[in-house]
Amino acid sequence: MGNLDTNSLFLLTAIIAPLLAGVVLLLGARFSPTTMRAIAVFGFAWPLIIGLLLYSRFDPSLIGAYNFELCLPTGLESIGIYLHLGLNGISMPLFLLAGTVGLAAGLYAMYSKAERPHLYLALLLFMLGGLMGTFASIDVFFFYFFHEFALIPTFLMIGMWGGVGRRGAAIEMTIYLTLGALLSLLGLIALYVQSGADSFSLIELRNYLSAQPLSDTVQNNIFALLLFGFGILVSLFPFHSWAPKGYAVAPTGAAMLHAGVLKKFGLYGLLQIAAPLLPAGADHWFPWIVWLALGNIIFIGLVTLAQKDLKMMLGYSSVMHMGYAFLGLACFSVIGAGGALLLMVAHGLSVALLFMLSTCIYHRSQTFDLSEMGGLATKAPVLAAFFVAGSMASIGLPGFGNFWGEFTIFAALAETELTRWIVVPAATGIIISAIYGLRAVANIFFGQPKAAFVERLQSDQITDLQAFEKLSAGILIAALVLTGIFPRVFSDDANRELLELYPQQQSHLPVIHSAVLSTDVDTHKELTH
Amino acid sequence: MTVGLNAFILVAGLLFAIGLLGVILRKNTLIIYMSLELMLNAVNLALVAFSRYNGTMDGNLFVFFIITVAAAEVALGLAIIVALFRLRQTVMVDQLTALSR
Amino acid sequence: MNKLLIEFLSGYTATNQWAAILPEIMMGVLALCLLAAEMVLPKNRQAWVPRLAIWGQVLILMIAFGFVGRCSIGEFQYFSGLITQTDVTQIMRGFFLVSSIAVCYLGHIYLSKQTLPQTEFYALVLIISAGMMLLVQSTHFVMLFVALETVTVAFYVLVAYSRTSQFSLEAGLKYLILGALSSGILLFGIVLLYGIAGNPELLGASRDSLNYGELMNFVILNMNNMIVKIGALLVIAGVCFKIGAVPFQIWVPDVYQGAPTPVTAYLAVASKAAGFIVLIELVRGPFFGLQDFLVPVLSVIAAATILFGNIAAVAQRNVKRLMGLSGIAHAGYLLLGVIAVMRGVDWAVYAVIFYLVTYLLASFAVFGVMSIAAGEEDANQELDHYESFARKRPFLGGVLACGLGSLAGIPPLGGFIGKLFLFVAAFQAELYGLLIIAIVGVVISIYYYFGWIRECYFSSSSTAVVKDISCGATSSDRFLLGALTVASIVIGILPAALPIIR
Repeated sequence: MGNLDTNSLFLLTAIIAPLLAGVVLLLGARFSPTTMRAIAVFGFAWPLIIGLLLYSRFDPSLIGAYNFELCLPTGLESIGIYLHLGLNGISMPLFLLAGTVGLAAGLYAMYSKAERPHLYLALLLFMLGGLMGTFASIDVFFFYFFHEFALIPTFLMIGMWGGVGRRGAAIEMTIYLTLGALLSLLGLIALYVQSGADSFSLIELRNYLSAQPLSDTVQNNIFALLLFGFGILVSLFPFHSWAPKGYAVAPTGAAMLHAGVLKKFGLYGLLQIAAPLLPAGADHWFPWIVWLALGNIIFIGLVTLAQKDLKMMLGYSSVMHMGYAFLGLACFSVIGAGGALLLMVAHGLSVALLFMLSTCIYHRSQTFDLSEMGGLATKAPVLAAFFVAGSMASIGLPGFGNFWGEFTIFAALAETELTRWIVVPAATGIIISAIYGLRAVANIFFGQPKAAFVERLQSDQITDLQAFEKLSAGILIAALVLTGIFPRVFSDDANRELLELYPQQQSHLPVIHSAVLSTDVDTHKELTH
Repeated sequence: MTVGLNAFILVAGLLFAIGLLGVILRKNTLIIYMSLELMLNAVNLALVAFSRYNGTMDGNLFVFFIITVAAAEVALGLAIIVALFRLRQTVMVDQLTALSR
Repeated sequence: MNKLLIEFLSGYTATNQWAAILPEIMMGVLALCLLAAEMVLPKNRQAWVPRLAIWGQVLILMIAFGFVGRCSIGEFQYFSGLITQTDVTQIMRGFFLVSSIAVCYLGHIYLSKQTLPQTEFYALVLIISAGMMLLVQSTHFVMLFVALETVTVAFYVLVAYSRTSQFSLEAGLKYLILGALSSGILLFGIVLLYGIAGNPELLGASRDSLNYGELMNFVILNMNNMIVKIGALLVIAGVCFKIGAVPFQIWVPDVYQGAPTPVTAYLAVASKAAGFIVLIELVRGPFFGLQDFLVPVLSVIAAATILFGNIAAVAQRNVKRLMGLSGIAHAGYLLLGVIAVMRGVDWAVYAVIFYLVTYLLASFAVFGVMSIAAGEEDANQELDHYESFARKRPFLGGVLACGLGSLAGIPPLGGFIGKLFLFVAAFQAELYGLLIIAIVGVVISIYYYFGWIRECYFSSSSTAVVKDISCGATSSDRFLLGALTVASIVIGILPAALPIIR
């Protein structure tokens, strides 16, 4: 299989470095703060450095295969499991996303004055290591393994450093997520057993299933397991209640990494594994998903409107935006999937930014209650500017990556007669998110504050963003703007990959058109059937 | 007149059932022990009967093992009952409820 | 006449290779040596008894592992078919030795807090270990019964070991009554099988109808015979008592709570493991022909066991009862493996063993922490005692969290890989309904396992807690618990470290 070249080893170090740094921090409770930070910076920055390096060396001509493949035995060979790593056009953007958000969250966490900082940073590093592993895995078992591995630190961080009500929220979240994870594990085992490939490797599964597809019933059943398993993990509509509560109490670093990256695991699983491998199952279930996704957009959108608490509002809004990604997937076309992928990346960046800034606001206002705050912009202009940028991105204004994601998804929806009507309710969602987004901005930074808050404003306690806050916010905003202006940094590679995996409908979209047009339309039709 | 195998097995089954019901229904630990012994002896009876009618010696041999084990069990059980009686002044199972909840 | 008799007997004794059961003999001798040592050693040297017990077993373990290397492949019958050694039994001998070493160590922690006689404890632990080693090797019902009773009777003593505690005595009494009841049921089943399989009028009747192999041939030829079915059912019921499967689980919570913590650990790990191996040997051996009849029965038992164990554990505040009830749930998962074996997925045997090993590592870590954390009255260990435990004793808190995480099946701990193997095996056996139930069970189990971790780590009060050094872990405690935890993690990350599934 994979040959052991330096790039593959680099890929491996992107997973191992944070884990190693975490272990060192865990054992070194007595390190001086400087040493501790040096180790942590290394652990947080290394994955992104490797990610960028590998991005520059990414070979786009390897369509349908993986770059930087690495395959190691761990003792599970008897059931076809290897530690099989690699990146393709779909996983590369998410790998970079994990690195970026990880670095931002890490930088922020290092200076956040948490109790027992070495433990906090160690858990965050474990989480990051798990995330890098998740998106770098070709083996679907390790894909799952790393996700679960990243989940446990989340539970511990919420429980140990969370806000009011953390005990209940941590357990509820863990139970929901374990249920989702186990259902998807069952689905993955089902793929392994039913496909007859005798391997958990995604490549092998693809080869086997494209040669002899499973019967429709089997596909439907396995897809249901994966869909609801992954759906719970992405807070699909009726299974979302863990998300806002969990994020509201979670410490900033955990919320950034979970809402920004870890939650994308489920969507990534559907995008990369479930839908391409089980097209008949996808065909059967996706129409139903549209309704649930609309539930996310409209129902949760309205719930978000009613929130008075900034963090709850952000939590609900992150649930709401997942609805768009599901809609994109549900189109089951190259464009829809591409849009979902773009939105996943952009949303990950923007939601992480907003969670971080909301904590910055809290440190200055001592409250999350939107109705009490006001006029913060006069004291903290940079914070205000960043927050406005984040909100705009999250609403989906042009110039940020979210715009391209949502736009592409709408385009995909509008493409066929059947799904065209969905654009209307989906667009309503955009209006809803604009209302609550702008209202939050207005409430916090402008307008008239309550009397108690006026006193705080007049004292000198409120300062603008500090350097480390600016740095981590800056990283995220830079990435958001980059994806907003040059979405093709990801979309070209992703598109090549998706063309292999998904049935296409003809398209004339700004983002992905060139590659689509250059490919023969007839071959696509064959793939569709 | 010879007694058939079925008669032996029937008696053994009856004895076993009586013992089982005794264990389940009675409250006095000592009587429960007696019922347990009854069950084991039902087994012994069946073993001997089968051994005789099948013409193999294994069953007869097995009986000796069972008798030995039963003796060990009873010796232990009585020791535990005595120790418990000293602490609690009772051997009725419905009063031995320190371990619930 | 004499000559004939000698010839006849020598036919039987030809396979009496005592060297084959050398580890068991050595365990017995070591147990006797301990009793002798207590008399010989002066009062101030009595501390040598546990050391002798532990290091003696380590030595035996080394010798026994020499055996594993020597006959790991193939099947060897000894003592005219009383005993059969396979790779499974060899692994399990090591398993029982390791667990009795750990129990001796936990017993040492426990006894140092109590005013109880010491030596008998270790001697009984050793005898039980030897008994279980023979139990998993036996392929003859007389051998099975004698080995089983050796184990069970010694367990009666150990459960009631704390003579001054009404909890321990009550637990001992309950275990004795229900244990003897289950032995009776098992015996009646054996007798029915013996009688029917020896009946010369039936096809395939055997002169040696207590032997597994002979019985297997008979059962295959008479699989619709009513008495065969009843006998098999009674035998299975007797074994289900030992593994604590529903509906024979009633003794588990009480006995687990009342027994001294090391004995609880022994019951939970080794006794259950022995029960499962016996069950697997029975369904692969004598009851091979009854699959169509037994698979549905065991499936119902497995489903009920998983659901009962998990649901009952949710409301539990006493950690010993909680471990007992969650142990029932684990028995349910393991039954999945047994059923998979019956449906022809042969490697599921190794999945079961792998699961048992990860269960051993995690359980002993948890029980070890419980032994150290226990107060005067060992039976009353409530969840509340563990509040802010990780702050007071960071090391023990970490060990506990890893142990519970492994029991819950969380990567990267061994328990997760164990569950993975079982689930894959169950999937290959097409047990879809049971898998869904198992998933539900695992999700429920997250609630109480993580609830315990939550109690340790997430203090509800913000008051500063002082590190409690008063009865912390000694360096040897740390070594043992650390080794168990590291082993759990290593197996979780690199399952190749445990070369059971090849």
